[in-house]
Amino acid sequence: MYDRPDLFQLLGAVRAYLQDDATPVDRQRQAAINLLGMVEREIQMSADHLKAEWARLNYVQNVTTPLPADFQEAHTALTERNRKFCEEISAGRYDIAPGRAALFEHLLMNAHAQLEVANPDFLQALAVEEAKRAR
Amino acid sequence: MIETSIVADLRGRLGEYLEAVTGQEVDVEHFGVLPGSTAQESWQVKAKVGEAAQSFVLRRDPPIPPDDHPLPRDQEFRLIKAAHETGVRVPRPRWYCLEPLILDQPFFMMDYVEGIADGAQLVSLPELAEARTLLPGQMGEQLAKIHTIDRTQHKLDFLPQPRAGFSPAQETIANIRAMILKLGVHNPVFEFGLRWAERNAPKTDKTIVLHGDFQVGNLLVNKKGLAGILDWEYARLGDPLEDLAWPCLRAWRFGRGDLQLGGVGAREPFIQAYEQANGRAVDRNAVDYWEILGNLRRAVTCLVAANRRVSGGHASVERASLGRRSAEMQFEMLRLIGAGGQTDHV
Repeated sequence: MYDRPDLFQLLGAVRAYLQDDATPVDRQRQAAINLLGMVEREIQMSADHLKAEWARLNYVQNVTTPLPADFQEAHTALTERNRKFCEEISAGRYDIAPGRAALFEHLLMNAHAQLEVANPDFLQALAVEEAKRAR
Repeated sequence: MIETSIVADLRGRLGEYLEAVTGQEVDVEHFGVLPGSTAQESWQVKAKVGEAAQSFVLRRDPPIPPDDHPLPRDQEFRLIKAAHETGVRVPRPRWYCLEPLILDQPFFMMDYVEGIADGAQLVSLPELAEARTLLPGQMGEQLAKIHTIDRTQHKLDFLPQPRAGFSPAQETIANIRAMILKLGVHNPVFEFGLRWAERNAPKTDKTIVLHGDFQVGNLLVNKKGLAGILDWEYARLGDPLEDLAWPCLRAWRFGRGDLQLGGVGAREPFIQAYEQANGRAVDRNAVDYWEILGNLRRAVTCLVAANRRVSGGHASVERASLGRRSAEMQFEMLRLIGAGGQTDHV
């Protein structure tokens, strides 16, 4: 539709500009470079993350609600589901097994998915740390 | 960056102020923002007062007050004074000024103490290797001293405290809930954490003066270890164990995740030093509880900070990143609660 450069090439060009060797990388500039990486990963992963979260939520709530085909609609629908889901958690619906175990697993994967976008290095460092501790 | 002409103007007014409070002739030789001071709130002042060369740190209120309710500068000053008189290692407090005509905002001044107040440098600089071995003991001993500050004797009645009928944990939970409500986010991880925290809250009602942000990034460190405890604006009354858990959060380990106490050491020597100075046994499970709740609080305050409108386009890049870092604390909180379920601490 837009030919070239594609989205990632555009972002890559901005990154190259920010990382220009002639200018020292200060904290704000480094933060900007990190943010670009985050944007790239979000574009790549958000559709899959949304689908997976929807499916897990169906499993935890024991329902088969279909995911809206349109991404924006699906996003809005998920936000609304999470709003109600929060009320259920708060009311104690998942306090005991087996609901609690399914909920916990779901939330851990939510946070994991967020980190795959926001800071994959964090997950990697944690894995290294845990491997060391296990030895 | 603030323009040089404005700095020159502030510097002139500060010189007149210092002459008034010291009664001597003052020549302000240097007036500049301290590194790491993101909102231009901390300045270094080098001045000739009479014949003596002196060095101060000046802390100024930001033009837009943050919405996480820090103490105003005059109250922070009074608390540092109380800490100083109690024997806590803090830079000697000098003067505070509420008159906006001097520096546009209220400010206070204290003696400058040589050292590094930067967590990332603290965990990595080779010349601080010995300091890092000393810190767990010094932090425990100093925190115990902070917890002896007498709020009645020093008239610290302005410090925030749990509302009537609320335990310190319930107060913290209520504050987190209020922040989430204001943000308008619906994150099941937060809700799960709050629910867990409510059901496992320690029953203790006793409150003492807390530093409120006791972590390595707020410590001034030199080769001999802990030289000064800074940033008292989040002080309040609460459960002492909250102050013990806060420096153990992963958020303050600066890449040394294996060293639970701020990336410099293990938690146990720190707690033991605290117990020895304080003379009371510390319930490790309750510290675990506060570490979990601390992660939840930090996860939410990161979003609050990212949401805050700040003046100056540059500062917002870092703040925006901070919002997404919330996921780190969420993940950590879940890991600490664990799949096992309710680890009841009560």
